[in-house]
Amino acid sequence: MKLEVVGKNILRIDALSKVTGRALYPEDFYMEGMVYGKTLRSKVPHAYIKVDTSRAEKIDGVIKIFTHKDVPNNKHGVVFKDHEVFCSEKVRRIGDPIAFVVAKDRKTCELALENILVEYEEIEGVFDPIEAMKDDAPKVHGDSNIVYHFKIRKGDVEEGFKNSHVIVENTYKTHMVDHAFLQPEAGLSFIDEEGRITVIVATQYPHYDREEIASALKIAEDKVRLINANIGGAFGGREDISLQIHLALAAHELKMPVKVVYSREESFLAHSKRHPLIMKYKTGADKDGKLLALEAEIIGDTGAYASWATNVLRKSGVHATGPYFIPNVKVDSYAVYTNNPYAGAMRGFGATQVPIAHEQQMDMLAEKLGMDPITIRLKNMFKKGSVTATGQVLTESVPLQECLERVVEKMDFPVGEKEAY
Amino acid sequence: MKKIGRGIGLSFYGTGYGNGFPDVSKARVRLLEGGKVGIYVGGTEVGQGAKTVLTQIGAETLKMPVEDIVFVHEDTVHMPDAGTAAASRQTYNTGNAIRVACENFRNKLKELAREHLALNSIYGLKVENGKIYLDFFPQKSLSFEELFEKSSKGDIEAEGEFVAQTVMMEEETGQGAPYWPYTFNACGVELEVDTLTGLVEIRKAVFAQDVGRAINPHLVEGQMDGGFAMALGYVLFEDLNLKEGKINNNKFSKYLIPTAMDTLEIEKIIVEDPESTAPYGAKGIGEPTMIPVGPAILNAIYDAIGVRITELPVTPERLVKAIQEHEKEKGEVK
Repeated sequence: MKLEVVGKNILRIDALSKVTGRALYPEDFYMEGMVYGKTLRSKVPHAYIKVDTSRAEKIDGVIKIFTHKDVPNNKHGVVFKDHEVFCSEKVRRIGDPIAFVVAKDRKTCELALENILVEYEEIEGVFDPIEAMKDDAPKVHGDSNIVYHFKIRKGDVEEGFKNSHVIVENTYKTHMVDHAFLQPEAGLSFIDEEGRITVIVATQYPHYDREEIASALKIAEDKVRLINANIGGAFGGREDISLQIHLALAAHELKMPVKVVYSREESFLAHSKRHPLIMKYKTGADKDGKLLALEAEIIGDTGAYASWATNVLRKSGVHATGPYFIPNVKVDSYAVYTNNPYAGAMRGFGATQVPIAHEQQMDMLAEKLGMDPITIRLKNMFKKGSVTATGQVLTESVPLQECLERVVEKMDFPVGEKEAY
Repeated sequence: MKKIGRGIGLSFYGTGYGNGFPDVSKARVRLLEGGKVGIYVGGTEVGQGAKTVLTQIGAETLKMPVEDIVFVHEDTVHMPDAGTAAASRQTYNTGNAIRVACENFRNKLKELAREHLALNSIYGLKVENGKIYLDFFPQKSLSFEELFEKSSKGDIEAEGEFVAQTVMMEEETGQGAPYWPYTFNACGVELEVDTLTGLVEIRKAVFAQDVGRAINPHLVEGQMDGGFAMALGYVLFEDLNLKEGKINNNKFSKYLIPTAMDTLEIEKIIVEDPESTAPYGAKGIGEPTMIPVGPAILNAIYDAIGVRITELPVTPERLVKAIQEHEKEKGEVK
């Protein structure tokens, strides 16, 4: 195939506007008659709430304070509709949105937030996913904190371990992290010349945002318009709804342009985090270093909301073996609610965490066998035609061995020697 | 004491929403004034380079320069749904949708050219560099610009759709084909551990990434540099200091991410093995470029000091503590 454009280092189409500062991010938009919005957020991780906005409403310059009572459909969420636009009875994490103040300027917004009275009746919280799985744990939603359980059953792991010459067992823990994108959430909403509720925002999926706004306001999707401005990084942190519905609701009700800009501190509260995983691994290999069995239990803390928890823990489970053929595999992965910040999509989506476990397991098996880390990988790695733990055949484009060999060459890793490197 | 260690990490990554969930991208292509071509698609540029790469796929299929393509992806009024800019799916899924839309567009242009040029059939017609012409009698030719002028302005368009193939996994056994395609990579690092301060400094890194085919090699390398830095932050720096649900490190003065001072020139190797179902063989690499780095660092730390780190993050305080505990355990064994 002769290619003219593909394979060429074309200069980024958006490069010039970004390096010259002409690219507009949501914070850069201004309109005539624009007013400001700010969100009141929960200060405690788990409580029943009562909200009184009457004092704040009387402040000069306050235009409207929105609460759950103002939202036609108060539910949203990428998979399960377990988020509320504004908490109605209960807050489940620090940072949960409770109310949205619209005022003539930012100072007035802040003054109004201080004057909204929230009565918190605190409930015991749960912050450890293993505790949260117990029957007597405080419940974040409904009557179980277990959101999801994914299973792989292939071959017979007991038999595999019985035949193993070496077995390595460990528990690995990864932590919750933030996407730390450079541009905190911001947006501007208004009614366009054709009467559409228009929201300028930075989002990974404008059509999803449009769908959630239409659903929350109970209006047709073609009455909603999303304009995606330039985006200062996302990494999965701009998949869930943050300020989109607040902005749309305010413009819809007030018929005036409304702007919101989050501070860095609020941004940390507003979007999802990477799932922390607890990964219990048991891996067995024969004398020659051939992997015979893997048993893994993976528990993911999704915090107060499910977001993508099902898909993330599924991806963890599918990728739990690493890029290796293992004849006997038993994987159980769980997603669990707690009162921590909610976890969602983040670069790698559950597949970033599991190699922290499987790659260290490989090195430990090699050490026990007196083998170097490269050789054990070469013996087990996926090649064209390999079958994964889910029974999928890798029919083409599997150049893992080439990747490894080229790294080995450049790093000058010794191969076939007893000692590690 | 400063100790040097080396480590390797491998990973694979399945693209797309997966597990049988309909993963659909749509694109629309339209002839514009001056013979330019507009590509309308809901694929988001989050900084990964989608706008450039997707334009290149369109330009390749239409055999025209990228300068003559107008890429519109900002406004839901004008663009069809191309799914999330996530799951490393835009190059593969939306790239495929654009390729299909451009192929349909080419066929449409040929049909229109046949009419305007009074030809009997579309066979032998070529679409290249902004014109449609008969290969073996090039005098029969119509430029995109002329065609636009002959049309009722802006009504020449075509659509394309791509639906990825995955099979839902069986509930009790997990048997199925949850993702497609998969990408592969390997990363090797050499680092230095200061056993007194717990600081880890990466001295050398070699990173090989399978891409199927690189649409834009510089952008692939950009993702590899970015993925490496993000993994460095994940494993060695970033800590929310979460206590009872409260994020205590909620600003960048406390939540530390790597700066240019913490990174290094990584030796980046692009491995090409085209995937037949992908646009020009290209697979998505946005997420994979972060994945093998963390374990390579952890394996190298073990190689340096003989201490296995099973809990993240490996901040200097935690590393010093782990070294001390390891020394204590060794002492007790003796």
